[in-house]
Amino acid sequence: MLIRFVIKRIIILFPVVIGISIILFIVQHIMPGDPVRALMPPDVRPEHWQAVYDAIEARLGLDRPVIEQYFRWVYSFFIRGEFGYSTMMNMSVNAAIREPLRNTIILNSFVIMFHLAIALPVGIKMAVKRGSLFDNTWQVFSLATFSLPAFFLALTLIFIFSITLGWLPVSGMPNPHLLQGRDLYIGWLRHLALPVTTLVIMSLAGAIRYIRNAMIDALSQDYIRTARSKGLSEKVVIYSHAFRNALIPISTIIVGVVFSLFAGAVITETVFGYNGIGRLLIQGVNNRDRMLIISTNMLFALINVTSILIADIVYGLVDPRIKLK
Amino acid sequence: MSKQENSHKNQSTGRKVGKSFLSMFKRLFVRDKLELNVLEEEAMRTPMKAVLIKLVNNKMAIIGFCMFVAVFLFSFVGSWLNPIDLFYVELTNRNIRPSQNILNYPAELADKNIVVIESGVSFSVALTDDGNLTVWGTECNTGWPGISDFILEVPEEIQNAHIVDIAVGMRFIVTLDDEGVFRGWGHAAHGQTEIPQMVETFMMFDGARDIAEILAGAMWSGVLSDNGFLYFWGSFQAEQNFIVPFEAQGRIVGVRAGDVNMILLLDDGTIMPMGVRGTEFINNVPPELMDGSVRVEDVVVTNRNVLALDEHGNLHIWGSSIDRLNRFPDGFVPERVVAIAAGYRNFVALKDTGEIVVWGGEELGVIDTPRNIEDKPVARIFGSSFQFYAVDEYNNILGAWGNRGYLFGSDDAGRDIFTRLMHGGRISLTVGIAAVIIATFIAIVVGLASGFFGGWVDHTLMRLADIFDGIPFLPLVITLSFVIGDAMTEMQRLYFIMILLGVLGWTGLARLIRAQILVEREKDFVLAARSLGIKQRHIMSRHILPNVFNFVIVSVTLSYATFILTEAALSFLGFGLREPIPSWGNMLTAAEDATVVQYFWWRWIIPGSFVVLAALSINLVGDALREAMDPKSEER
Repeated sequence: MLIRFVIKRIIILFPVVIGISIILFIVQHIMPGDPVRALMPPDVRPEHWQAVYDAIEARLGLDRPVIEQYFRWVYSFFIRGEFGYSTMMNMSVNAAIREPLRNTIILNSFVIMFHLAIALPVGIKMAVKRGSLFDNTWQVFSLATFSLPAFFLALTLIFIFSITLGWLPVSGMPNPHLLQGRDLYIGWLRHLALPVTTLVIMSLAGAIRYIRNAMIDALSQDYIRTARSKGLSEKVVIYSHAFRNALIPISTIIVGVVFSLFAGAVITETVFGYNGIGRLLIQGVNNRDRMLIISTNMLFALINVTSILIADIVYGLVDPRIKLK
Repeated sequence: MSKQENSHKNQSTGRKVGKSFLSMFKRLFVRDKLELNVLEEEAMRTPMKAVLIKLVNNKMAIIGFCMFVAVFLFSFVGSWLNPIDLFYVELTNRNIRPSQNILNYPAELADKNIVVIESGVSFSVALTDDGNLTVWGTECNTGWPGISDFILEVPEEIQNAHIVDIAVGMRFIVTLDDEGVFRGWGHAAHGQTEIPQMVETFMMFDGARDIAEILAGAMWSGVLSDNGFLYFWGSFQAEQNFIVPFEAQGRIVGVRAGDVNMILLLDDGTIMPMGVRGTEFINNVPPELMDGSVRVEDVVVTNRNVLALDEHGNLHIWGSSIDRLNRFPDGFVPERVVAIAAGYRNFVALKDTGEIVVWGGEELGVIDTPRNIEDKPVARIFGSSFQFYAVDEYNNILGAWGNRGYLFGSDDAGRDIFTRLMHGGRISLTVGIAAVIIATFIAIVVGLASGFFGGWVDHTLMRLADIFDGIPFLPLVITLSFVIGDAMTEMQRLYFIMILLGVLGWTGLARLIRAQILVEREKDFVLAARSLGIKQRHIMSRHILPNVFNFVIVSVTLSYATFILTEAALSFLGFGLREPIPSWGNMLTAAEDATVVQYFWWRWIIPGSFVVLAALSINLVGDALREAMDPKSEER
């Protein structure tokens, strides 16, 4: 049953992925600039220029018809997992994105950890004590962070903690050549502190509201009244009865948050000079690195699409009432 | 229906409308004392009215609405009242912190004898005949130790010395005391505030004993020795340009300096230009001033122009035609002039009738001579930079005009942030509105089509929405803005960003509308309408659409805030609107530089706060709308 459901969902996703890949390929195709020129060695003699140009063009496969180029790209991207050649880094895109991707995953793991540790208890408590000072304060917080551009929050944090107080580095990454062992880990934490704070605050706004509303819905159900009238303690009612049922909508938003972090970190990574995948994308755009741009965009899109799929499956798994149709 | 009846009906409708307006006003401004019981209340309220009452009673909504109106008026009315020259720059005035006190000279100067007043970009310094300095204005330096001391903090040894001469550069002050010691402070990245060893050696070699006069330009300083030799040091530009002609050395009695040009006053009453060759400043000097047939009394210079007063009280003017400073203003007779002065881009002439004539650049209030000095006996005028001070014959300050300061500071091109915020707000808010309209239009069309027709139309449209949702928003917008927008002019870019945000931002609302239509379609009142034989078209437009409409309004409000934030983020990263067109986002671009974050807080905190204010006010209203329209909200 479940397997059939998953397969069906995946089949539905096929046209979506194909559509995205076509859009992205068109975008990179109409991008101004000549990728071959970017790779031309500087010391080519004029009489050899055309030959070298043709050779590079052939190596990149740009001398073929556009349709063929597209299918070759799809083949190498999806089947062979080779993302092409980055003109900016002068290496394969796979090699170019390895470290940034690792850094982004490290950043996001911390964010998710703190996000869950804060959002779940706060959201539940808001729902349980709705209308209280606690609830109202977090409501205001949520509304305020909704209206806050991520980069402005990042700048404010830099201004307070890095410049005025001098506790944390302004931006950048720990240098593995200068730091070793324990110092390197501390360096990582120091450099991660502000980006993580920014992303956690930015991602909390929506989540706590969502969790609160889901909990309120769950708490207003009849079985809660039944549980209370049975004389169960409030703790059991909330955590065992209400929370379990609220978990259904909550699980979907958590999946959403986890995956949206990858693309959402573009601004934060740029402001903090954090060598992540989002910053790499910005650099790639500025350097007209076609393959890097479409590969990272396609990766983001795949992550996104996967998250939608997982959210669907989780929804089906958590809620036995939903027939996996 | 008889005529009488009809008019009676009209009357009562008019009264009703008047009444409801009155009651709305009452509800807005006076607390409604009349408490209705639940049933009466229920019976009286239409859904629209209920929503309105809930909104009016929601304090947050009112606060948000007022905030938004304020931001809106600031941006649209403010930018209409304060037109902007997009290409205006005044690089000398860059990074001046918010203030309005540049011209506020201290009151105690009134009973002192002023020898000279000189001004830098945002400050002025007066030398009084008791050898003391008074500095006022706005701080323009960052306080980097050793390179950029605070200009308003006079060093102790200079305060204690008896000063006889001062000179003011862009952001530094140099002084000469009665023992012949040269000192200075301020932004001295080129070592302008102390005499280098080399210059001292030259002076010894030329036989100079004392310093007769000191001078300062944008980033350089100079001294004129008592035997008429002139020396410079400081920025590379100054050392390159100022090569004193051999025949002039030893004969110089005075110097008037611009940034790259200067006029040397020689001991026989003639003048000699010096500096960047080939400019009108050097080439167009009237020959009679150079050959000795007319003696020159006084000369003042801007960076590119010269105004000279000869022994007969006649004026001579020459130089570049920028700001029309190479000629006299219309109707001005250059005779019987008693005193002249020059600012950075202005000349001032004082006639023996007491009339003050200012011409040249018109920005920063430099041509608005104050009313209160019109009938007072002005004897001298001190001008430099963008500040002018009028002094009477007893050496008391009568008044000042020129650059009072920037309310929200100036940016790195010397532009007024206050004005740019207004215009930036107009553009940011407009981009948001346009994007919302485009997105809402697409969303309504797609959502309605999807919800009404269902089947393969629904499937295709929803897969399309999936595709748009699948590509993360910001990376895609950045990529597209770069790919397509790169070759555009700035105005085309403005429209392109609106369209881009709109075209990529419709999916959420379209899904919402579709889902809502599907929900409403199954409701009992639709079934009732259908069983009454009402046409499908009417059911859709009369019964279903109004219920969907609420969601559209809420969603439009909330996504307006989102679009404003997105535009700001996009412009901040350099992929949105670009200079010189101001937007709140691109005014924040400077903050990518940690120096700006640290020292020039006004350049990012103020525009950032405006973005937050606008988004917050819209979100408050949107949130209140959602609460008011949600039938379940009362239970919560």
